[in-house]
Amino acid sequence: MRSIDSDLRGLEDQREVFVTNDQPFESPAKEFVPGPLYKNIEEVIPELAESQEIQDASAAKKLPVDRRDFMRLFSVSAALASTACVYRPVEKAVPYVEQPKDFVPGVANYYATTIDRVGVVVKTREGRPVFVEGNPEHPLSQGSPSIMAMSELQALFHPDRRVAPQIQYGTNRRGDANWDEVYDRLGVRLKDAKKVGFLVKGTTGHGVQFYKDFLKNIGQSEDNLYLYETNGIYNAISEAHRLAFGIDGIPRTDMRRTKLILGVGAEFLDEGVAPIFEQKSWSVGHTFRNGAKGRFVQFESRLTLTGGKADERHVIGPGDELAVTLAVVDSLLKRSEAKGTAAEKANIRAVVDAQRSLIDSTKQRLKLSDDLLNKLAGELLSRKSLVQVGESGAISPNGTLVQLAGIMANVLVGAYAERLQFFDQGWFKSPGRAGDIARFLNEGKTYDVLFVVNVDPAFTMPASSGIADILKGRSIISMQSMPCATDTYAEFALNTHNPLEAWGDEELVAGFWSLQQPTVRPVANSRQPEDILLWAAAKMGKPMGFEDYRSYLRDKWKLVYKESGINKDFETFFKAIQRKGFFVSQLSKRDMPAFGTVAERFQPLPLKSGMRLIAHLDSKLRDGYGADRPVLQEAGDGLTTITWDTWVAINPNKARELGVKYNDLVVVKGPGGSFEASIYPLPGLHYDTVAVPRGRGQKQGLSRITDGVGVDPLVALVAEVDPLSGDPVTSGQTVEIIKTGRRYRLAAMQKHNDIANRRDIMPVYPLAVAVANVRKEKDLDDVPDLYPSLAPKEGDLRSPNSYLFPDWKASTEYRWGMSIDLERCTGCGACTVACDLENNVPQIGREQVLIGREMHWIRVDRYFSGPVDNPEVSYQPVPCQHCNHAPCEAVCPVYATTHDQEGLNVQTYNRCVGTRYCANACPYKIRRFNWFTHKWNVMGDRPIDRNPRALNPDVTVRTRGIMEKCTLCVQRIREGKHNAKQQGRLVFDGEIRTACQVACPSDAITFGNLLDPNSRVAKNRKDYRAYLLLNGKPELGEYGLKTLPNVNYIAKVLHDGSEGIAAGDGHDRSGAPGPAGGHP
Amino acid sequence: MATVSKSFSHLARLIMLMALLFQSGCGRGQKFWTNWWTPGDTVDNVGYHPDQPIEFPHNIHVQKLQMNCEYCHSAARRSSSAGIPPLNTCMGCHQYAQTDKEAIQYLNSKWKAKEPVVWTKVHDLPDFVRFTHRPHVQKGVDCSECHGDVSQMTTVSQAKSMQMGWCIECHQANQAPISCVTCHY
Repeated sequence: MRSIDSDLRGLEDQREVFVTNDQPFESPAKEFVPGPLYKNIEEVIPELAESQEIQDASAAKKLPVDRRDFMRLFSVSAALASTACVYRPVEKAVPYVEQPKDFVPGVANYYATTIDRVGVVVKTREGRPVFVEGNPEHPLSQGSPSIMAMSELQALFHPDRRVAPQIQYGTNRRGDANWDEVYDRLGVRLKDAKKVGFLVKGTTGHGVQFYKDFLKNIGQSEDNLYLYETNGIYNAISEAHRLAFGIDGIPRTDMRRTKLILGVGAEFLDEGVAPIFEQKSWSVGHTFRNGAKGRFVQFESRLTLTGGKADERHVIGPGDELAVTLAVVDSLLKRSEAKGTAAEKANIRAVVDAQRSLIDSTKQRLKLSDDLLNKLAGELLSRKSLVQVGESGAISPNGTLVQLAGIMANVLVGAYAERLQFFDQGWFKSPGRAGDIARFLNEGKTYDVLFVVNVDPAFTMPASSGIADILKGRSIISMQSMPCATDTYAEFALNTHNPLEAWGDEELVAGFWSLQQPTVRPVANSRQPEDILLWAAAKMGKPMGFEDYRSYLRDKWKLVYKESGINKDFETFFKAIQRKGFFVSQLSKRDMPAFGTVAERFQPLPLKSGMRLIAHLDSKLRDGYGADRPVLQEAGDGLTTITWDTWVAINPNKARELGVKYNDLVVVKGPGGSFEASIYPLPGLHYDTVAVPRGRGQKQGLSRITDGVGVDPLVALVAEVDPLSGDPVTSGQTVEIIKTGRRYRLAAMQKHNDIANRRDIMPVYPLAVAVANVRKEKDLDDVPDLYPSLAPKEGDLRSPNSYLFPDWKASTEYRWGMSIDLERCTGCGACTVACDLENNVPQIGREQVLIGREMHWIRVDRYFSGPVDNPEVSYQPVPCQHCNHAPCEAVCPVYATTHDQEGLNVQTYNRCVGTRYCANACPYKIRRFNWFTHKWNVMGDRPIDRNPRALNPDVTVRTRGIMEKCTLCVQRIREGKHNAKQQGRLVFDGEIRTACQVACPSDAITFGNLLDPNSRVAKNRKDYRAYLLLNGKPELGEYGLKTLPNVNYIAKVLHDGSEGIAAGDGHDRSGAPGPAGGHP
Repeated sequence: MATVSKSFSHLARLIMLMALLFQSGCGRGQKFWTNWWTPGDTVDNVGYHPDQPIEFPHNIHVQKLQMNCEYCHSAARRSSSAGIPPLNTCMGCHQYAQTDKEAIQYLNSKWKAKEPVVWTKVHDLPDFVRFTHRPHVQKGVDCSECHGDVSQMTTVSQAKSMQMGWCIECHQANQAPISCVTCHY
């Protein structure tokens, strides 16, 4: 075992290996480079470290009294005061007047609904939602909620939600009104209106029909409805399919049946078409399982979470996606075994030939060799493969053409019907409609009344698109669940329901209906947008014949019911749907049409030169829809780990060339304007890429959460649209980076909780080794536990060689453990968000994060290794490891942290006196100290009350001065144990799921009872790749820190050129080469 | 030296102000030497007997009418909290029974107004304690073991201290878990 010092020295020595000055940045592929891990760029390029000399622009808000003085005063006055009376408050017990049926106080009720296009189950306690879980039966969520769906809880109980509708009277400022007045005045306004339009959040459900019906009812054209969706991939893909096959829709990618994925700017793990579904199907089909691992080759210009999981990654310039896809198509065409009919091939060849010069020049510029492309084409044709192209996060001028090129590639590899499902298994409906946004921007000024429903065009459309002029000149009726920038233009600013309060539905896949139903009574005097319209129509004397939107939906569902041919009555049917949350009807099968002639529509726009801006959707906040939720602001980006801010990501070597360092404030000057933000040198970017996330930089005064957070990169853009899909472009325009000579510190969490570069953090296995050592399930009984001495024996004493730790009586029924598969972890951070919401973890604001006080119980560490121009990215979620020999337990002077009989390392809040010895002793740095009572967040930069209704009633809210940490969701363990005990049995495997496990879209986290040999977690612990963090390699006699955690990791597998097919089946380790990577 | 004395007087003023602020938060007139955790007059809360909106006669319902505790506190077997009965449970009988009594008229007025009766909590554990009725009731622990002989009371007063030592004693005697996380999480 080498000491930490020698580890660090080793890092110094090897620095030369991966600082790649002389290496061309278009190095062919990510090679298998076992090398030291680095988290921050200054560890490998010290000159990029934050400059300490230049002025810090983020002058911290100073307290009126100096902190030390304040503490002195505070303690003296507290001491004086405590001699007087401080009593327990007298609490009241308020029972119901009429208790609802099926309701027991203290017992959760669950409701199936659909939020954020994901089927979820909402856990409610005493009539209010406390957690959003995935609906395990829903085929598109398969038990995992999306980050946005989970965080709806914070939006629902947001302190800055408006509680009354507002109307502008004449030229006065808007004032609060009551709802009856709203319906009256809205009726009058509609009666007078000549042309009424709707800009509505993209939806696939009956909502579209409703707005059309409404428009028809008031005598307007149905075309006045515009669907708005900021994720540009929907319109691009459906428009490309319309051009290629004459059919509207998005094929359903099935990565479970895929052996090879070629991605060109693909982002299916970031955003994609159906994030949860695609991530699930990727994790099942593409991670190492049973001796096989899919291969994923990615070409991309910025580093994305998706690219981070690629087995082979190539860096291309921004906007090169089209030429690279065409180059692949070209090499596929050259092969005789290419699929597709002769006519289709001729159509494709016509396109490729017309774009020959573009393909050749790009190949030359990127140094893409024919060998590489031919090899790739051969692989694509010989294996079950799939081509995924196009960014979902950003909209590029040629976005639809990239999709069209992707379709060509998929036709040639024969992916349709099997891996890209259309008519046989149902296709995704597009929530947007191609051309709608362009049409809206053209026709917007012809309306005199414009409804804007649940979207914020004033913020999410680039200012250069002229959106402000459209919103200014007419009567805007803004219907929003949260205050937003569009409200400022509105004559009527109406507060509408949060998705947790509203009715609705989605036809996510053709013939597959998901129902959205309220899970709570409206908490903020809001109304459903559709209800407002129905009642306003009644006031103007044109009733639509429906009492409310619920009855409208039921009416529409009657059609679904009739088509289904179910021989029960409608009430029974609808009740069953409400219980289950979705309905699948039979699809009539059709053949896929042939690929048509597209050559004349294939007119790519020329690429711009120089550094180009990619303003992409933020992985947490998206287009800003989630910006007012502190839990998302503080969860941090997966790759940069930056919280509460906008960053400018550029290639580290480019940063060196430009002479800017980490945290340097720069002006990004584009053709349309400029913005200021700090530099984050992010490995793996193309030299010309300037990647800036959207979603921040909202107007002041909308919400205390978004005030002063970040900047909006869209201001740098000039008006430009993708000519085919009509969406406003957010990437590809030339920008300039100008130094300001100031710096502004980014609150990046990866600077904290460093485990001092120890080597055994992240072992990786080459594929051949992993394949040779696959253990069959029947052999697992013979495999000893990672620490066999921990299994309780006669006498129930802990391992005999423990000396510092007292012997303790172990339970013979349960030992709780968790297993985290790093092969599956994509770094999305859903676990952190879920944990924050489940365990009442406070969000503390940028200033506190900057000094390392973030409170996350599970953090996702991100490591790079290999060349900075194209690194290998690894993630490691770190919760409390629940060590059996826990260093924290030994040092606590008051026994506040102790060992449970069931293997949990428990923290007793009321006993803790806040010495923080345990946090110092913890080698994993997972303990979190409450510097303040964050319930009121008095010292943070955003003093906002946490709404007590948004807290989980099963978890104590911690106060100032005590330590907290991951409990393995002990409240869920106790609930599960009580349930089991009531039925006189032990807990089933999988009965108890921790919050992070529920949220993990790729099922990387397993939780269960280690004493049950058949539990999944016990089996995972016996995997060949299983290891305990910082516990050395026991098989080599190295025990590391010997903390013996109950949490184990499963190491990553890297492609080493060998085929991922099981060669050996034994578990004999003797002949196999040892692990590589983190273990040099 | 003038600056020093000036800042000192400034400090002293601040200290006094803050002490005042702390004090103003309380003041229900209790003796200030009692334990902060006791709203009652005794150190361990035994005998705490707060006023309730009406004198609910437990003795009549339990002794005379032979009603089971779980008839009204029906969640005890299934939930963490035993549950205080909703008003419709009361009105099930008292729409007809004893309608001439003052207390029943009070209930009736609340029922008509659809307002809940706001009771004062007697057995109030600290927020960092998670007591669950469910396993205790299912194990067959009699209600009276913790709540005293409620059948003799009208409005309830606290019979046992409900401090941690008292819990642990019983848990140890019955081989129940005594890990911290049994109650504190």
